[in-house]
Amino acid sequence: MFELISNLVAAFLTLSIFSFLYKDNPFYKFAEHLLVGVSMGYAIPLAYENVFIPFVYNPIFLERRFIIIVPAIIGILYLFRFSKNLSWLARYPIVIFMGIVGMSVPMSMHSSVLVQMRSAMLPLDNINTFLIFIGTITILMYFYFSKEHKGTYGKISNVGVWFMMVGFGASFGYTVMARMSLLIGRIQFLLGDFLGLIK
Amino acid sequence: MKRQIPLIIVMSLGFLFFAHTFIPHKFSQDFYDWYVSWTKAMSPFAVILGIMSLFMVHTTKIQRKVPNWQYSFVTLGALVFTAFAGFAWGTNEGTPFMWLFKNVQMPMSATMFSLLAFYIASAAYKAFRARSAQATVLLIAAIIVMLGQVPLGQIISKWIPITSTWILNVPNLAAKRGIMTGVGLGMVATSLKIILGIERTYLGGGD
Amino acid sequence: MNFFDRMQNLDRRWIYLVVALAIIVPLLIPFNSKTYTTEPSENVYKMIDSFAGKDNKAILMCVSHDASTIAELFPMEVSVLRHCFERDIKVFTICFMPQSAPLVDYAINTAKEDFPNIKSGVNYCNFGYKPYSLFLPILLGMGDNIGEAVETDAEGRKVENLEIMENIRNYEDLNLVMDFSASGSVISWITYARVKFGVNVAAGITAVMAADNYPYLQSGQLIGMLSGLKGAAEYEKMVDVFAAKGKAFSKETINNTWIKITGNDIPTKFKKARIGMNAQSIAHIMIIVFIILGNIGYFVNKNKKKG
Repeated sequence: MFELISNLVAAFLTLSIFSFLYKDNPFYKFAEHLLVGVSMGYAIPLAYENVFIPFVYNPIFLERRFIIIVPAIIGILYLFRFSKNLSWLARYPIVIFMGIVGMSVPMSMHSSVLVQMRSAMLPLDNINTFLIFIGTITILMYFYFSKEHKGTYGKISNVGVWFMMVGFGASFGYTVMARMSLLIGRIQFLLGDFLGLIK
Repeated sequence: MKRQIPLIIVMSLGFLFFAHTFIPHKFSQDFYDWYVSWTKAMSPFAVILGIMSLFMVHTTKIQRKVPNWQYSFVTLGALVFTAFAGFAWGTNEGTPFMWLFKNVQMPMSATMFSLLAFYIASAAYKAFRARSAQATVLLIAAIIVMLGQVPLGQIISKWIPITSTWILNVPNLAAKRGIMTGVGLGMVATSLKIILGIERTYLGGGD
Repeated sequence: MNFFDRMQNLDRRWIYLVVALAIIVPLLIPFNSKTYTTEPSENVYKMIDSFAGKDNKAILMCVSHDASTIAELFPMEVSVLRHCFERDIKVFTICFMPQSAPLVDYAINTAKEDFPNIKSGVNYCNFGYKPYSLFLPILLGMGDNIGEAVETDAEGRKVENLEIMENIRNYEDLNLVMDFSASGSVISWITYARVKFGVNVAAGITAVMAADNYPYLQSGQLIGMLSGLKGAAEYEKMVDVFAAKGKAFSKETINNTWIKITGNDIPTKFKKARIGMNAQSIAHIMIIVFIILGNIGYFVNKNKKKG
């Protein structure tokens, strides 16, 4: 009985959202606002249990590491974001979190540029590695805006556009698959879990 | 001073982290451990910021009686009740809090995104036109990849999945690598701009 | 208004109705179709399987998505967990989004039901939800000491005291991280954990993200990848064919094996992606027909205007 009611609620809310496909209506609006509220309300107890207690309360009150009071106070400065005169105080917690970007300079360079370049420098011993090489070079030329895309340079960089079109086509094909999968998941719920029609 | 001191902090930390990547010395590790324990203690307050922001948006809507303001009560009520359920009865399996997640949040969130399946089908019919040779190549690549992903593609012809795999592994790979290299350089440049104090938008407006 | 004009101006709600039917009908009338596996999925399976029965090797599943993409990612998570439980592979789970926390529990409970001997803290451990601001500190901290970086698990126990942590200290032992996401979070694992500690990284991602990750597959920064519902269906099949029968992976066997998904031989939870792939076949054909019909209408009208 309890499971039936639970499924009934979930199915009602699912159908309320689907009703938007016909036209905007109060059921959809209700479900949409409910979703925002529940999602945010959901994060509060979890943040309290999993973050505040182990990283603020326990170190200060149980382990007596009073130095942790300092970052806790800096964290509280976040809340001044909404004050007209004191919003500058919220910059302190933000910049402390931002500092770690220093690490991303060498690491992004390594993973997204150097390793990719190394992988593009394979011996051109078959047609596929040759095509990958041509594609990568011509696309990089296409995105080089310091030189006008005219004449021979324009023609070469235009080859890159054809490669990109195939790449975007592949992404589009996969996107169709992804969107359909999400709908399949919901229909599986309605037909299977709710109505029991899928065995 | 309200901007300078935060900028000095981000620049100093940025350079220290840059150095930390290359220096496995104990001092470097101690600095890192200190940073972690401090950011851990600061992090719960960011959640409060998000809650306050949502509260302010919806209370303003109610006060100003903007169109559909009544629904803001639903958002605020749901927020308060869900949080209350978590504190009052706990967050474990079998509690009202988890019931709300499984039967309210989860189905609605999944359904909201599944609407995109209808929109992409409508777009396929009304907007995806082979207006040029390049658009035609895009559509053909998309169709082959679509067929290559499903069992039916293999039944139609064994060449469909083979061609689909080739598209993904060769021209698609080249295209994504070219784009990704540009993005990677952009990320490095943005990070450098932040630690050199050139990019400051994250500090917000005001003095 | 002629037929082609009417076709061009068809009310979108008729299209929506066709979409709904294209998915509902194949789900209501189940049929068997053969799932073909691809190399990126096979590589994930082989890597995880190579840890079977080893006390000093483990995998970490990082669940970085909310409920919006469970249709694609949840069957993957259940299949990977089932593989680990079948083959006695130590598995850890973690998430950095509050909305992911119950999904991890749900996946573990779904997979665990059929394995009464599998115990939390012994065979698997859920590190639970950690705030996103700690993503990098924990990711990097695990390179030195997992227990210190994570501190407590989802049940509030000290991680370093758990039985599962015997012989598991850092990424040398926790040698595979698999990120399940609908975003680019796997790139962070590649950028930081792979570059700094050389850990193997695999991705379980929504199909939207799949095409973008091929450069990482070729460069070896990703050892393998499960893409969308198809990736989940492939993994389900590999677990059925090999792990569930205690066999080692073989490319020939997987291609020649036909697994029946109608009937009650396999519980629905372990074949959900494969059932979904039947509807996916019809849906893809429908989209292709839409594109062709839309273009026919467009070109006929264009020629008429020219004429």
